[in-house]
Amino acid sequence: MIGRKWWVPWVWMAPALILLTVYLAYPVLDTVRRSFQDRRSENWVGFDNYEFIIKNPAPLVADTHSALLNNLLWLTLFPLIVVPAGLVLAVLTSRVRYEAVAKSAVFIPMAISFVAAGVIFKFMYEYNPNIGTANALLEQIDREPVAWLQDTRAPQRWITDSGPADAPGPLQINNLALITVGVWMWTGFALVVLSAGLKGISTEILEAARVDGANEFQIFRRIILPILMPTIMVVTTTLIINALKIFDLVWVMTGGRFSTDVVATLFFKQSFVVRDFGVGAALAVVLLLAVVPVMLISLRRFQFQEEIR
Amino acid sequence: MTRSRDAWRWTAALILVAFFAALVAACGDDDDDDGGGGGNGGGSNQSDTSGRSNQQLGDVDVLGIWGAEELTNFESMVAPWQSDTGGRVNFTGTRNITAELTLRVEGGNPPDIAIPAEVGLFQQFARDGRIISLDQCEGLEDLVRDNYPDAFVELATVDGKLYGFFMKADTKATIWYSPQTFEDMNMEPLDADASFDDLVELSQRFVDAGLPPWSIGLESAETSGWPGSDWIQQIILNEHGEDVYDGLIDGSVPFTDDRVKDAWEKFGQIALTDGFTVQGGATGINATNFQDATYPPFTDPPGAAMVYLGGFAAGFIQEQFPDLEPGTGFDFFTFPGGAVTGGANIVYAFNNDPATCSLMTYLASADAQKIWVEAGGFTSVNTEVDLDAYPDEVARRQAEQLLEADSFRFDLDDAIGGGLQQAYFTGITQYLQNPGQLDSILQSIEGSRGTD
Repeated sequence: MIGRKWWVPWVWMAPALILLTVYLAYPVLDTVRRSFQDRRSENWVGFDNYEFIIKNPAPLVADTHSALLNNLLWLTLFPLIVVPAGLVLAVLTSRVRYEAVAKSAVFIPMAISFVAAGVIFKFMYEYNPNIGTANALLEQIDREPVAWLQDTRAPQRWITDSGPADAPGPLQINNLALITVGVWMWTGFALVVLSAGLKGISTEILEAARVDGANEFQIFRRIILPILMPTIMVVTTTLIINALKIFDLVWVMTGGRFSTDVVATLFFKQSFVVRDFGVGAALAVVLLLAVVPVMLISLRRFQFQEEIR
Repeated sequence: MTRSRDAWRWTAALILVAFFAALVAACGDDDDDDGGGGGNGGGSNQSDTSGRSNQQLGDVDVLGIWGAEELTNFESMVAPWQSDTGGRVNFTGTRNITAELTLRVEGGNPPDIAIPAEVGLFQQFARDGRIISLDQCEGLEDLVRDNYPDAFVELATVDGKLYGFFMKADTKATIWYSPQTFEDMNMEPLDADASFDDLVELSQRFVDAGLPPWSIGLESAETSGWPGSDWIQQIILNEHGEDVYDGLIDGSVPFTDDRVKDAWEKFGQIALTDGFTVQGGATGINATNFQDATYPPFTDPPGAAMVYLGGFAAGFIQEQFPDLEPGTGFDFFTFPGGAVTGGANIVYAFNNDPATCSLMTYLASADAQKIWVEAGGFTSVNTEVDLDAYPDEVARRQAEQLLEADSFRFDLDDAIGGGLQQAYFTGITQYLQNPGQLDSILQSIEGSRGTD
C-alpha cells in the first residue's frame, strides 16, 4: 500500500520468524553440524558418521540398514493401504443413511495419541492368549499363539507355517503388525479428507453419467478418481511424511527391538541411550533428506493450485 | 445473522479463555504439583506436613526410577526429613532414566540428585566434573566410609574420589520356587555349593516328573533380553570366577572368549532344551514379559517349578498372590555356586546446595533406610541397619546374602552400559532365536565395545 514503510510487514512477521529461527532453523543447523562431529560433539570427523550408517558395522547396537528398510516398508505399505481404504470407505459411506455414524466410528482412532494406540495394541498383541485378543482369537480356531511383536519371520508363516522362514529384509510379522496399528489410526484421516473431496464433486456430472448408462464402477474409475486426484495426492504426501516420522508407535510397542527399528527410534537410541550424538545426528539428517523431496512435491502442488485459481 | 455470529464469537472467545486459564492453572502452579520432567510414575507431591522447622530448606529435585509402590515407600522414607528440615522433595520417576538424565544434563537442567541403577553414566559424569564428590557435603563422606562395606565404597569411587553411595540393593542370586510344590513332588532346593550341572539335573528330574522346571521371560520393551544377561553373568561369576567377570567389563576378556561362550551355552541349555520351560522355547521366552514370567511357579496348580530373577521378584509375587506367605508360600535358594551378582541404586548429586547436601546425608543414613526396609522390598547395604528390621524371613535372607557374599559383583550389563549393553541384550534375544549363530553373535557384541 502506498505510504506504508517497507519494514512494517517485517515487524508483523518478526515474532513468528524469531520462533522459527530458534526452534526450527537453529536446531536443524546444529544437528547438521553434530552429524559431522564425533560422539561427544567435540572433534570433527567428516563423513564418518554417514559411513557408519552405510556400512552398518555394529548391527546389534544400531542396525541402520534394518531401520532404513523398515522406514521404506512403512512409507510404501502405509499409504498404499490407507489411501485406497479411505477412498473406498468414503465412497461407500456417502451412500448410506448412517453416514455420520460410520465415519465417526472410523475416525475415532485419530482422536487418541499414538502412544495410547501403542499401549492398546500392545495388549491386543500379547503372546499370552489370556490377555492378548489376537492370540485368543487364534486359540479359538485351534492355532498356536503368535508372538506378533517379536516374530521376525516372513508373514506367510503364521498362516501356512510353510514356505521360506525369512522374507527379504523388512517383511516381518512384527513390522506388519505395527503397520496395522498405523493403518487403524490413520484410515479415518484419509476417509474424512477424501469424503470432503467427494462431496465437492458436482452431482450434475454424476447424474449425467448415470443417465448415459455408466455403471457405478465406471463412474468411480473415470469420474470420481480423476477429480479427486489432487486430494488423493495431498493425503498421500501427508501419510508418507507421517510414515517417515513414525516414532511413538514403534517405541511404545517394541522399543525398536526385534528388528522393528525405524530411523526415528534409532536416532533417539543412539543419541540418548548409547550417547553417540554424531551418529544420532547423522540419522536425523538422513531422515530430513528423505522428507525434503516429499515436502517439495507438496509445496509445488500448493503453488500450482494457487496459480490455477 | 450478525447477532448470532457475534454470539458465536463471544462463545468461542470464552471457551478459549477458559481453556487457557485451565492450562495455566494446571501447568503453572508449582506449589502443589509434579516437579521436573516427564516419564511415568509422575512427581511426588508431599503435602506439607508439620512444616514447623528451624531451617527452611528449599526444594530438592530428585530424578529416580521408582513408580507405584516403590514411590510410596520412598515418600515415606523422606517424610521425616521434610518435616524436620522444612525442605521438600520433588521426585520424578522414569524407567527411561538414562535417556532422561542425558537429556537434562546436556540441556543444562540437571536434577539436584539422581538415583539411577547403572553406573556407566555416573562414572562419565564424575570424570566430566558434573557431579559433586561427597567431601563437598559436610560429614557425608565420613558417614559413607564408616557405614558401607568396602566393596560398595570402591564401586562408587572414580579416580580416587568418592562421588556417591548405594541404596536399595538387590541380589540377583535368587532362584524362586514354591516350597509346597517342591514338597509335593519330593524335590529339595539346592545348596549354595551346588554346581550348575546339579541345577540341570534338578531340572531334568522335574521334566521326568511332569512339570516344566523353568519359567523364563525376556520381554521388556527396548531393554528386552536383560533377564537373560542375569543368567549369563551369574554363570560366569560362579563357573569361571571374578577375573573373567571383571575382564568382561574392562575389556581384557572379550565376549568371544571360550569361557564366556560356555556360559551362554549353559544358559541356552536351560532355555532351549525341550520341555525345560513352560513358555515352550525361544518364541515364548522372547514374547513373555519378565514380570509375567514370575507367576507360573505360584499358580494353583503350578505352571512351572522355578523362576530365576532378582530379589525384586518377591515384590511381583506378593502383589500377584497376596495370600502367599514369604518363606512358606514362596522362597528362594541361592544360585548354585554361591557368588552373588546384584544391583543397587546409586545416589549422587549435581550441586552442593544446603538442601541437596542435607537430603543426601539423610538418605545415606541408617535411620532413613530403615524406614523403607521395614516397609518391605528394600535391601540396605548400610551395615548399621539392624537385620531384624526386615519384615520377613525372605527379605532378611536376601540382606544376609548380599552382605555376606564371598564374591559380590555389580550387575554386568549395568556396568558396561551404553552401546555395548544394547548389543548384549539384542544378542541374547537373537541367540535364543538362532542358537547356531552364537559365534557370530558374540563377535558382533565384542565388536560393539568401544561405543562408550
